[in-house]
Amino acid sequence: MKTFNKKVALLLGVLLLSISCSEEFLEPKALSFYAPENTYINAEGMKAALVPCSELMRNEWISEGRPLLTECIFSEVAVHGTTDRTDPAQNMNVQITPDAELYDGGSFNSIGDYWSNGYKSIRYANTVISRIDDAEYTSQEERNEILGLAYFFRAYNYYRLTQQFGDVPLILKEVTKPKTDYYSTEREVILKKMKEDLEFAAEWVPEKVDVGEVNRGAVNHILTKVNLALGEFDDAIQSANYLINGDYALMTERFGSYKNDLTRNIIWDLHRIENKYRAENTERIMLVMDREDMQGGSKWGGMYMRGAVPAFWRNIATPTGRKGTTDSNSEYDLVNTYGRGIARLRSTIYHMKTIWTDTTDLRHAKGNWIEMEDLVYNNPQLKDLGDPWYGKHLQLYSDEGKLLCLDTIYSWYSWPHYKLYVPDPNNVVLEGGRGDWYAMRLAETYLLRAEAYWWKGDLESAAADVNAVRERAHAVPFTPDQINIGTILDERARELYFEEWRKTEMTRICYLLCKTGKPGHNGKVYTLKNFSEDNYWYDRIMEYGDFYNKGVVTINGKEFTISPYHVLWPIPAAAIRANTTGHINQNIGYAGSESNIPPLTEIGDE
Amino acid sequence: MKFILMFTAVFNLVCSANTYAQRTKLSLKLSEATILEIFQEIEKSTEYGFFFKSEDLDMKKRYEIDLENVRIDEVLSLVLKEDGVDYRIEDRNIILTRSHPSDSKYQPPTITGTVTDASTGEVLPGVNIVVEGTTLGTISDINGEYNIEVPEGTRKLIFSFVGMETQEIIIGTSTQINVSMVTSEFDLKEIIVIGYGTQQKKDLTGAIAHIGVEQLENTVATNAHDYLLANIPGLSASLNTSPEGGGSLLIRGKSSLSAGTYPLLVVDGVIFDGDLIDINPSDIEAIDVLKDASSAAVYGAKSANGVVLITTKKGKSIKPNISFRANFGIADMAIQQRPHSPESFLKYRQTAMEGLDVAAEPYKYSDPRTLPPDISVETWLGYTGAVGDPVNVWLQRLNFQNVQIENYLAGKTVDWYDEVFQNGIRQDYTLSLSGKKEDISYYMSLEYMDNEGLVVGDEFNTIRGRLNLEGIATKFLTAGINMQFADRDQSSVPAEWERIINNTPYGSMYNDDGTLKWSPDSDPGGSITWYAKNPFNAREYTDRRRKTRTIFPNIYVKGKLPLGFSYRINFNPSYTLSSNFEHLSSEWYDVEPIGGKASRSYAETFNWQIDNIIGWSHTFKDIHHFDVTLLANAEKFQSWYGEMYNERFEPDDNLGYHSMNSGTNAYVNSSDEYSTGDALMARLNYDLKERYFLTLSVRRDGYSAFGQLNPRATFPAVALGWVFSDEDFLNSVEWLNYGKLRISYGINGNRDIGRYQALSDLQSMKYINGDETGQAWEVTGLYVNRMSNAGLRWEQSTSFNLGLDFSVLNNRLHGYIDTYLKSTSDLLVLRSLPDVTGFSNVMDNLGEVQNKGIELNLNSRNIDQPNFLWRSMFNFSLNRNNIVHLYGPINVYDDEGNIIGKTEPDDPSNWWFIGQDIDVIWDIKVLGVWQVDEIEEAREYGFSPGDFKLEDVNNDGIYTDEDRQFLGYYSPRFRCSFSNNFTLYKNFDFSFMIYSNWGHMDSFSSAKNSHWYPDKSSDYEKFEYWTPENPINDFARLNSSSGGVDYSVYRNSSFIRLQNVSISYNFPKILAQKANVDELRVYFNIRNALVYAPDWVNWDPEHTGPTPRYITLGVDLTF
Repeated sequence: MKTFNKKVALLLGVLLLSISCSEEFLEPKALSFYAPENTYINAEGMKAALVPCSELMRNEWISEGRPLLTECIFSEVAVHGTTDRTDPAQNMNVQITPDAELYDGGSFNSIGDYWSNGYKSIRYANTVISRIDDAEYTSQEERNEILGLAYFFRAYNYYRLTQQFGDVPLILKEVTKPKTDYYSTEREVILKKMKEDLEFAAEWVPEKVDVGEVNRGAVNHILTKVNLALGEFDDAIQSANYLINGDYALMTERFGSYKNDLTRNIIWDLHRIENKYRAENTERIMLVMDREDMQGGSKWGGMYMRGAVPAFWRNIATPTGRKGTTDSNSEYDLVNTYGRGIARLRSTIYHMKTIWTDTTDLRHAKGNWIEMEDLVYNNPQLKDLGDPWYGKHLQLYSDEGKLLCLDTIYSWYSWPHYKLYVPDPNNVVLEGGRGDWYAMRLAETYLLRAEAYWWKGDLESAAADVNAVRERAHAVPFTPDQINIGTILDERARELYFEEWRKTEMTRICYLLCKTGKPGHNGKVYTLKNFSEDNYWYDRIMEYGDFYNKGVVTINGKEFTISPYHVLWPIPAAAIRANTTGHINQNIGYAGSESNIPPLTEIGDE
Repeated sequence: MKFILMFTAVFNLVCSANTYAQRTKLSLKLSEATILEIFQEIEKSTEYGFFFKSEDLDMKKRYEIDLENVRIDEVLSLVLKEDGVDYRIEDRNIILTRSHPSDSKYQPPTITGTVTDASTGEVLPGVNIVVEGTTLGTISDINGEYNIEVPEGTRKLIFSFVGMETQEIIIGTSTQINVSMVTSEFDLKEIIVIGYGTQQKKDLTGAIAHIGVEQLENTVATNAHDYLLANIPGLSASLNTSPEGGGSLLIRGKSSLSAGTYPLLVVDGVIFDGDLIDINPSDIEAIDVLKDASSAAVYGAKSANGVVLITTKKGKSIKPNISFRANFGIADMAIQQRPHSPESFLKYRQTAMEGLDVAAEPYKYSDPRTLPPDISVETWLGYTGAVGDPVNVWLQRLNFQNVQIENYLAGKTVDWYDEVFQNGIRQDYTLSLSGKKEDISYYMSLEYMDNEGLVVGDEFNTIRGRLNLEGIATKFLTAGINMQFADRDQSSVPAEWERIINNTPYGSMYNDDGTLKWSPDSDPGGSITWYAKNPFNAREYTDRRRKTRTIFPNIYVKGKLPLGFSYRINFNPSYTLSSNFEHLSSEWYDVEPIGGKASRSYAETFNWQIDNIIGWSHTFKDIHHFDVTLLANAEKFQSWYGEMYNERFEPDDNLGYHSMNSGTNAYVNSSDEYSTGDALMARLNYDLKERYFLTLSVRRDGYSAFGQLNPRATFPAVALGWVFSDEDFLNSVEWLNYGKLRISYGINGNRDIGRYQALSDLQSMKYINGDETGQAWEVTGLYVNRMSNAGLRWEQSTSFNLGLDFSVLNNRLHGYIDTYLKSTSDLLVLRSLPDVTGFSNVMDNLGEVQNKGIELNLNSRNIDQPNFLWRSMFNFSLNRNNIVHLYGPINVYDDEGNIIGKTEPDDPSNWWFIGQDIDVIWDIKVLGVWQVDEIEEAREYGFSPGDFKLEDVNNDGIYTDEDRQFLGYYSPRFRCSFSNNFTLYKNFDFSFMIYSNWGHMDSFSSAKNSHWYPDKSSDYEKFEYWTPENPINDFARLNSSSGGVDYSVYRNSSFIRLQNVSISYNFPKILAQKANVDELRVYFNIRNALVYAPDWVNWDPEHTGPTPRYITLGVDLTF
């Protein structure tokens, strides 16, 4: 009895206690996550808030469905080479709509990923910008550095969004409550604001930082692009000068892990994973970081080879009509030498042949660049059958002239091995593992400055900058009269394949051609008025590309098409749908654009 | 009125002899009369007056009197003798006094008798006989006989037996009481569990469904979920397909857009936060489901999804009862869904290759041995300039790997279906002991269950124990414990059955050296693409230990206080401990590069609740009955989770997860949670003359998960009941035995949104920085994962319920009809945000959803013959749901920007539309398949013949939202079930139950034939594919194009299922007795016996994947 009474007393006691201090009792307690209010209180917390921006930046280059693939296929350098399924973005006229599948570049395309990740990164940056003075710093410099970093990430993404989608909503503050009344802001208004911010960042972000962090060089590189986009060419030259005339320099001498390997060359050295971070690599501006066996590494790895190498292990017959290649174990282990490609990114003739006008160019030299004929028939069954072609080099045609490759889109093209090769120790098949990637490299800064000079009409300087890049690759220099926007874009394709934002930069150039009235390499002058019907981007693809609107059909019967309005991507319908009380404009050419309203031309207090 | 109520017992009168009494005779005919009414009647017709103390008499008792011409003393002795009241007649005064117990001449010390079954007249053993108001009791023996000593003052004996109506017999003068028990077809005295208490069925005002012994006995359950399946109108339970059982439960339609919709579980009166999986179904005595707002409102913020109350068995009989139940059975495949056979696979692959090579020469992919006469093998070989064996060339053209070619030539195939699926053996044993001694009652049970699934390696086993103990500590205090313990083992690593269509019949299971072949088709595919990997890889190389242990004790103390008060305190701590260890061996090809990986995680939850309940029950003036319940409750939930992970084990990973420290690339993770809640509740149940009922309740809830602006919520409810069949004006209606109208209104809450939705949480992530030497280190990033919402609060449902209970035709047909209208507002919505905010959604309180529906339950006794009894039950329910509001109205402007009205926008991203069902399907309509002669038209849309033809509603040549239509619903339009029970020769039972969900659709995107790589894999044989020669309209060509349009294909998934077939045999007592057992019952049961789904081809209409049919043989033994 006594114990019962005690228990009753205890229970009653606990109960009364809980009721009496109940307001406190109901206080929520977060045990395993941080609350913004007590974390973003110092420099460490604020810097941590920007780390996700870096990760999103890396996201562009990695994994099978890498967004960069979509930048490439909306240009003259490549198409989506997947022919064993019918979903990937090939028939753009049908498949690229606001309502279509816009997420996952491997299966479809990454337009939606760019959109949502861009705005996600902007949100992370805005969190820091809005809270910048809620935290305590050891100095004003520290505060400004962090603010500069946040400005950088925001500008980086708005630069992309404005070139990919045109006029988009401009959000400059942390969003703390549900909001559905956004409007599109004019592209140039956004860019002007970004220029201001980047100039602030260029003043405060330090030059010496850890590898993988944003430095002043990176700020100036992006500032150069924004300056160009605004048509402010002198400013572009000035921000590029910070890099080119500063501590950076193109790598012209052998260095790094293969330094003493005479069969290799500087171009091979420059792109080795283990050479990118080295102190002597003065060409690196900024890397996105990826390493094996680290939690901060990417989930699936880079998959560079899986994405961009042809599926040479199938569809290829020997002249005796037998299956010639395999991805299974073989004496000639092609798959583990070059990677088991699945041709998500299939180079065009333009990228494989047209631009390689001289034979000395290291970027297209044997060993760096792999031709299909470099490979051999490796199907072990051939050996069992005593087929004479076993171990012999591949042929596209038999001696009788019969085509031996069933699907040349998927399985037969050449590729820049020097750039794509990344060891893959944790995978059973070589696909391209985790390794640092150039997010920005001085070679591009040269080409950006070359562009600025060209826009200004300074062909001498433009040629000098293009040639700096060419000479390092042992290519024959251009004379100033050879320089035009076409040759600059060609050089970009040669130097920056699988690094650059091909579609972004081409759209920027399209806008500038309209703005400046300068003719394109084709002599044609463009205007902003009918931008979505007639632009340089489309004309270039038509001129050089060998797929879109050329009646090319995949083996499964699917046609490649594209239209001028694709110069701007569709705003994903989900964003427009959910913005129930505002109005986000759709780009001309896509369903929904008929209800567009004039974009905002001023920055509101929002 | 000549009554005089006396407050003293002293009374004396000089009186004459009883002459008046001797000569006065009277006739009385009264029905359902109280004692006062009898006295009134006597006073009216004679000169007598009555003197008595009111507490000596039973004022509520009703009498049937039919006497002709009898003397007053005869009347009195007849009326009063049973009640222990003495009378004296003094002249014209009749004085009534309570018999003094000690000298009562009528109170026999021992009562004996025989209990029989009213319908058969046979003796009934095992009937519980209890002295009213005590725990004293006995049971009838094999001959139906009993004897029981009754203490002084005993008024009634209570006879109860499972499935029979409980009888309360007043002890009269006789020492022999024979009772005949009536089958409880419609037992108004049945005890129904309501929240924080119980009521008799006749007193209910809410819509409460009860599952009693009969439904429980006819179902062989893996867990309680199976009892609920199709047994209660308005409650939909998903089909159980896994060895552990369980699934989703939904009461009265989906009333939430984003919050949880699982009902609240209450076990033996306390809220159960665990899983049904941990309750032994054999321990369950009854299940009650609170469906309407009023009955559930006592659970406040947890009640909006309804409440399932489970009552477990208690010790009842004086004689200790040992019972043993054994179930043994198998799970076999209910619906066969085989992948292509070797022959049909070749055809499939040929078609696939032809589709991938549209410009191919004729018969290029056909078997060269079957070429038409006009194509020679040489021509055929010449297509690719091939030499050698044409069959080999053909197989190469079919994209066969070398191993597949070898197997084809050797005539070897693998039947993946047979390899991966099995008939699962299921066994379940429960041993229980129960009983009741003077001041203690006990029930204890232990169960072992081991169930194999349909997939090789899929297995679940559990040990579940229960102890229900209640003891009387003192006269006014009872203490008890209801404790449940479960130990689950979910360590099995089943084969990956999904891969049966990713591998072809011509692959190899094993390498030449007898080890498992990593990729049967020798298609390395790459690390993330898994299609051609062996279904047994994981099973072969994974070592897993996954255990969960739960203890759920409820300790209570209850007692009686003076003045009709009572109290009860529940203290209910509950514990869950689970651990999950896993080692993936480095012998596994996929894992080898990282040198083995292992993880080890522990989770613990501790949750306590305290209920402090005060009750008060009182009757005023005999007709006003009050029953008040007051509750104060507090609860706290805490959980702790920790995980360690490692890989690259050195020197090797042979020690697996036992030696986590041997790895060289570790990471750790932890996550803890915490929440608190409290509640105050008051309820009044009032009835007038047991004919008019009123229930009023209010509950105030607090919960830490809501935004701090709204930590508390109040939930009121009211309900009325009227037993109209008791009204005089219906007395003459012969066919109506019982009729009651119920109406209720109440507000319920739903707080099921997770513990931290109101808070903005910073999630951490890792990135890498490094230096120029190659050193790299992790940097931690923090980002706001969720937008905070300090105003977040509970979801509020306001519902009306109108119900009718009835019993007609001599109680042969009874049942109920309920209709309801439930409006849920302040919906906890994960509303879409434009992703330019950087958020895709935020949890918010918005909008309103309405559910309305009707539920019907009918029970009938169709044939009732001594040797043949046939009973049926029919349930029907229909729920209609629509979204009334979402994010609120916005202004509509004209071209000049003037406001011309308001409109409320839909949320098309979530498929939520004002006025539409939450489960509506809004998609592009598939009209059929583009046929060969439509090639030109198809091309305009980017399609080829064989692709699905989609409706372009506005004919603009492209597919946009404008082309989306409302195509149907995911949820059934109505559900019904029909069960029948036949009893033959008393001992033989046969029952079956059919249920049907009708009028809904489900997506069936396999019809597109575009989700995988047909040039590498296989598919299910039932899935057809379009070809020019087979121009069907319901499946597309292999590798069809969706033309960039984001859409799904839907099929009607209506079905009728023969869910339960049960045959049982009760051995006659005599026979059983010979074997020294009290009861012996054997049964045979089939669950999910058959399903009819006319339009559905993808496995089961309720479950995409292998769906079992359970066949069980069982025995119940009671000693």
